[in-house]
Amino acid sequence: MGYQLTIEPLGETIEVAEGQTLLDACLRNGIYLPYQCNHGLCGTCKVAVLDGDVDHAASSPFALMDFEREEGRTLACCARPLSDVIIEADVEEDPDAEHHPVQDVTATVEAMDDLTPDIKAVWLRVPGDGLPFQAGQYVNLHLPGLEEPRAFSIASAPSDPTLLELQVRRVPGGVGTAYIHERLAVGDRLDLSGPLGRFHVHKSQTAPMLFLAGGSGLSSPKSMVLDLLSGGWTGPITLIHGVRMTHDVYDGDLLRELARRHSNFTYIPATCQGNEGDGWEGDRGFVHEVAERHFNGNFKGMKAYLCGPPVMIDACVRSLMKGRLFEKDIHMESFVTKADSATVTKSPLYKRI
Amino acid sequence: MTTLLKEPKAKKLGLKERYAHLTRGLGWETTYQPMSKVFPFADYEGIKIHDWDAWEDPFRLTMDAYWKYQAEKERKLYAVIDSFAQNNGQMNITDARYINAIKIFLTGVSPLEYMAHRGYAQVGRHFVGAGPRVACQMQAIDELRHAQTQIHTISHYNKFFDGLHDSRHMHDRVWYLSVPKSFFDDAASAGPFEFLTAISFSFEYVLTNLLFVPFMSGAAFNGDMATVTFGFSAQSDESRHMTLGLEIIKFMLEQDEGNVPIVQKWIDKWFWRGYRLLTIVAMMMDYMLPKRVMSWAEAWEMYFEEAGGALFKDLARYGIREPKYADVARKEKGRLSHEAWCTFYNYTHAAAFHTWVPKEEELAWLSEKYPDTFDKLYRPRFEYWQKQQEAGKRFYNNSLPQLCTVCQVPMLFTEPDDPTKICFRRAEHKGETYHFCSDGCCDIFKDEPEKYIQSWLPVHQIFQGNCGGATIPDVLAWYHLNNGVDNLDYQGSPDQQLWDAWMKDRGKAGG
Repeated sequence: MGYQLTIEPLGETIEVAEGQTLLDACLRNGIYLPYQCNHGLCGTCKVAVLDGDVDHAASSPFALMDFEREEGRTLACCARPLSDVIIEADVEEDPDAEHHPVQDVTATVEAMDDLTPDIKAVWLRVPGDGLPFQAGQYVNLHLPGLEEPRAFSIASAPSDPTLLELQVRRVPGGVGTAYIHERLAVGDRLDLSGPLGRFHVHKSQTAPMLFLAGGSGLSSPKSMVLDLLSGGWTGPITLIHGVRMTHDVYDGDLLRELARRHSNFTYIPATCQGNEGDGWEGDRGFVHEVAERHFNGNFKGMKAYLCGPPVMIDACVRSLMKGRLFEKDIHMESFVTKADSATVTKSPLYKRI
Repeated sequence: MTTLLKEPKAKKLGLKERYAHLTRGLGWETTYQPMSKVFPFADYEGIKIHDWDAWEDPFRLTMDAYWKYQAEKERKLYAVIDSFAQNNGQMNITDARYINAIKIFLTGVSPLEYMAHRGYAQVGRHFVGAGPRVACQMQAIDELRHAQTQIHTISHYNKFFDGLHDSRHMHDRVWYLSVPKSFFDDAASAGPFEFLTAISFSFEYVLTNLLFVPFMSGAAFNGDMATVTFGFSAQSDESRHMTLGLEIIKFMLEQDEGNVPIVQKWIDKWFWRGYRLLTIVAMMMDYMLPKRVMSWAEAWEMYFEEAGGALFKDLARYGIREPKYADVARKEKGRLSHEAWCTFYNYTHAAAFHTWVPKEEELAWLSEKYPDTFDKLYRPRFEYWQKQQEAGKRFYNNSLPQLCTVCQVPMLFTEPDDPTKICFRRAEHKGETYHFCSDGCCDIFKDEPEKYIQSWLPVHQIFQGNCGGATIPDVLAWYHLNNGVDNLDYQGSPDQQLWDAWMKDRGKAGG
């Protein structure tokens, strides 16, 4: 059985599995705590336990001294909860983050729509007051017969929390997305939990916003753009949506219409695999190439939001950094799964990107 | 089951805000003198900083908390060191040969801790921003603490074993100790940004695991709790030091595009300088620990090729590439330790520690760890030397080795692509010829020849008559090295006699 871990000053609550360390649980939930050695020697990940009990496990007596143990400090990389725990960590509070409680609800499929040959829109009706969320967050969908829930970003605007749009790309060989594409039908009931994640726009800053989306990664940016424009945000917003071919573009009419009505919003769909005779009149190339061309390779002073497959994200981060935009102004959805973290050796150079 | 969590009390300030309130106004804006006169070293290296406030202080520690932590660490550490002394911990090590690795560490590296103290104090004075200044000042005090704790260990082992009696004096004179000494002098005589790139980033961040892991694990494996404890105590400060290393690099790279090539040049230089310094660690790992932890090649793969590889992959986004000549280090990993040990075996009559031919099972371990190189290139030498030694003709090389002008290591390294041929490089400067062990060192010289032509090269100094005389006994006397005691083979040394006597007594006591 696991425990709940609340991280102050964020006020976020996450689950910690049996035997899992506090640090591991935080990182897997997208909450970055400073850390270095990851085995109790250096003390970088020291946090204060405000409530509850932890096992300090193999923490070095030099990195976590007796008086600190008495004062309720622990090393997140070693500590395992023995009860529900509240910690205070050296993480920055984000003035733009909304805190919506995570709920477990049963929703009904109200409509489904083929957006492209391999992406379906699924509209879910949530009873009562719905599921209030911040644009950019996701939900975990519990599909019949599958043990692990599947995560999908919410593509609709947060103004109506009772009707959520998810955009589901069929992953080749993926059991969950195959279920949605082949068997899910209007009227079906699905259990979901959310909202989850800390990906959101930073409205309190006036920097121009750049959304870079790849394929079904359009979902979060779409929700964010809808939210910004309906909320009267007046700064420049650019959305570049990269897909393979003409028939992979979706929500184009909606976004073009928004761009027509809001002079501060620029919408650029782009294809990367088409050829001359395919009738595509828009931009061609990968998302990062289109962005570099559009901004002459200079991204200084912007805020960038990235959503899409890892290869696209990586290419975009490279372009943005080459254009002098750095980590504190680059935001992205980060799903760190067990498989990812086992295969990729990362240095502690970056916290989020 | 769900548990209701207690609502935390009134909203507190985040740690970052609290820290900002505690430290704001600590910077210095001059009023009646220009800033450039008060901070004369801030610009000349060419690094452009537009906004010192953009420095993210990753380690928010107040001075007050700092003293409290460090005092507690000291109490703990000295309790362990005292109990090690009272319980005659030196008798629990695996074998007195092990002490020779510690001799090199304590005489070679411990003085660098003191030099680091001075270096960080200097840089802390000359940086403009309050954030990095505070970080450097704290590190300056840490380093002084590390030097002190290690001197306590020197003092303990000096009661029993030879070669540790005058380490401060030796550090400025002895030929092989000029390798670590010149490394640090090079860094400390550079500007503040290069110093941090050299020590905080290249050494403390990129290469530190290669120094500490073999050292501390080696000490633990070989029963040396005095060293393990000062190691752990020092490592608990390392988090701040490593963070400073990463932060300075990011800060320079993000502040101005023009900084990128300068930082790259320094990374290239200090990777190579640090790597050459680690030659001595390679040799300790493979030859000097009676119980071995891992081979040098394995450590290099794990800590540089994997961990460093991930770092440089991440740094590539800033336009930084892997250090120049990292490929040469890769090629050398199967021979570095052997070439070094063979050289010290040759010159151990002029060193303040002992060497030896590895025992049969140690040779077997080396063959297993270095299947491509050891049996073919190095085992025959050891077998030959063993025979010579048994015949009473222990070989000592009575010539003086040529030294590399930059790293000051004797010219013992071989060509990157030919392990049977010594690597020589040379460069001319103002009509003089200078010699180098590698392209890496040669490049460093060519970039700043005026700096390196001032190098104090021990062999040159002996030839110039500045080291007490023309014979080996004269020079050893000038080193304060006890001839026939501190030096020569382990076989027959006073260290060995003492150890054998202890073991004999223990055998008796054990019945």
